[in-house]
Amino acid sequence: MVSSSTHTLTLISPPDDVNTVHALLETVWADAAHVSPTDRFSFETALIELASNVLRHADTGCGVTCGLRLEVSEDRIDGRLNDTGAMVTELLLATDRPVDLSVDADVALAGVLATREMPDVLCESGRGMALIHALVDELDYVRDNDVNHWHIVRTLRS
Amino acid sequence: MQFTVTDQGDGIAVVHIAGRLNMVTAPRLREVVAASVAAGQNRVAVDLSDVDFIDFSGLGALIGGLKATRQAGGDLRIAAPNEQVRLVLQLINMERVLTAYPAASSAFHG
Repeated sequence: MVSSSTHTLTLISPPDDVNTVHALLETVWADAAHVSPTDRFSFETALIELASNVLRHADTGCGVTCGLRLEVSEDRIDGRLNDTGAMVTELLLATDRPVDLSVDADVALAGVLATREMPDVLCESGRGMALIHALVDELDYVRDNDVNHWHIVRTLRS
Repeated sequence: MQFTVTDQGDGIAVVHIAGRLNMVTAPRLREVVAASVAAGQNRVAVDLSDVDFIDFSGLGALIGGLKATRQAGGDLRIAAPNEQVRLVLQLINMERVLTAYPAASSAFHG
């Protein structure tokens, strides 16, 4: 029987960056010997991609403060990232995917999140959401009171 | 993150990277490849044997380097990626574009 472990982090950028998230993950994996390398690599890649996108696109010049909570249980890894950055439409535009901004942002995001298509192989950017989708089983987004709430879950395969 | 560039002659440069290749360090890789191409070394072998982790910023830098070297008549090849790097390459069907060689020193020979 594997007991659950929970890890939290407050990330203030600048000066924090994605390496701060990597450092937290090192402590997470140290407590989670039952997580296979494939599950570990997959979740870490998805989380770092999410954090990178938030840090890159949500900062409107005042920096970004993120709260990160990771929970590892017997059969899944659950990550919640909350940030005070800009509305997610900036992130949507950053996906290089056409987004109809005349519709509600949550509706527009739902359309993007539902898409798993990868951009052209030689495209240097714009794969973020598609990559995260391919690596986790759940990807949810809600904006509430000027805070973006991201939630990703990977079910452990082995 | 450390970058070491070795001139192998015949227009070949080996770029050895140690650490994580992410949004923090990817710009440095772009600079290193651009400098190699500018110096006439348009065949670049990127040694990933000591790269612990790569994200899409890092992959973007590799793809940018691939374009830059090919535009100069050369190529960019990667060597010795770990399991995480191979996983990401597989996810985006990049393996057929960025073929992994066993060792950087032989990426353009044999």
